Amino acid sequence: MRRAAASRRLRTSAPASARTGPPASASPLARAVLAVYPPAWRARYGEEALGYLDESGVSVREVASLLCRAVPAWIWPPAHLHDRPARMRASLATMLTFWSALAVLGLVFDQLTQQQGIAPAGHPVIWWSYLTFDVAMALSAVVLGAGCLPLWLVMLRRARRDHSARVTAGLLLPAAVPVASVLVLAAVLGTIRHPGGVSPAWFLVITVSGFAAALLAAAGPGMALRAQRPRGPAVRLATIAAAIATATSIAGFAASVLAAAGLYLWAHDFTGYHNGVLLVTYLALVTGAGAPAAVSAARGTSAALAR
Amino acid sequence: MTDRLDRWADPPLLVLASLADEPKHGYAITQDVADSMGVRLTAGTLYAVISRLEAGGLIEPLEPEGRRRPYRITAAGARALARQSERMSRVAVVAQQRLSMRSGWAGA
Repeated sequence: MRRAAASRRLRTSAPASARTGPPASASPLARAVLAVYPPAWRARYGEEALGYLDESGVSVREVASLLCRAVPAWIWPPAHLHDRPARMRASLATMLTFWSALAVLGLVFDQLTQQQGIAPAGHPVIWWSYLTFDVAMALSAVVLGAGCLPLWLVMLRRARRDHSARVTAGLLLPAAVPVASVLVLAAVLGTIRHPGGVSPAWFLVITVSGFAAALLAAAGPGMALRAQRPRGPAVRLATIAAAIATATSIAGFAASVLAAAGLYLWAHDFTGYHNGVLLVTYLALVTGAGAPAAVSAARGTSAALAR
Repeated sequence: MTDRLDRWADPPLLVLASLADEPKHGYAITQDVADSMGVRLTAGTLYAVISRLEAGGLIEPLEPEGRRRPYRITAAGARALARQSERMSRVAVVAQQRLSMRSGWAGA
């Protein structure tokens, strides 16, 4: 009872100077925990949550609670923290980034498996997985392209009307970067290729360059979305299309994981594929790119369909 | 089963009840809920609830005082709290009456 009274006194009669002084330094752990929350959440509640942790202390219970609650904060962002178009634009930019990374990962998977003709006899599940993967990835690309085209045209027209060379260049990157990458790749392969194929070191260099090119291609529209802040039905259509493309792509990668697991289990003649480290690395890459893409797809769809 | 009964201690309800008399900031709310109602809210739960109540228009933020930002219950929040308190009171009265009758039978 005495503690309650003391606490109440603290709440109601603390001197103003104590409440309005400069912010106390929060522990690095507190800042690290809050860093896992979405930017809009941090902008609104971050400082007061740090203040709370300064007063309560950063216990394991508080850290665990904050970490657990970060997941729904990402998946179901509070509606009052930002307007729907902003939510859709942010989700669209994120989906484009991760979709591009997944596309490169898909090309690597295709190159290392189907293009090598690797499928152990007597296991049709691998061929079916390959087929599912191919169809899903093609469908995903078509849906993404068709759904984002109207928004891209609207933004490109506006950028040209505003004489914004930076935004125009950003919007052209998704077309220019893949074309340039293919040309550079063809030139490099023409130089380094020999009868044994490309060496593992060169393959790694090409793969890493592919990821860098994909991120560059996606960064252009992301920058343009931040600069122009478009609204309206084109943004909604692009967001829903990107979410469908992301979901289709994830379904394709689920098939690819099945194929990779099949190769690990049954492709005994191909020692490179009967390799647990390779399988786990592939799983980690798929999960690392797929999970944020799925979360953004859920957030974007929720904003696009909200009344 | 007893866990389900704990839903009476729904965190949004506790926060609304805490703010019913005066505005409070986050840490003061958890202290008040712990002292007055015997439930310890963690930071993650508290800010998830504050966010939900704010989105629903049941509480509103006031001007921050340094890092602390007090919250005030709105008229809609007060009405929602009154409705829920009334329901809980009715259940509590019925439950206590029937438990006392049961004790009477047991003693007879």
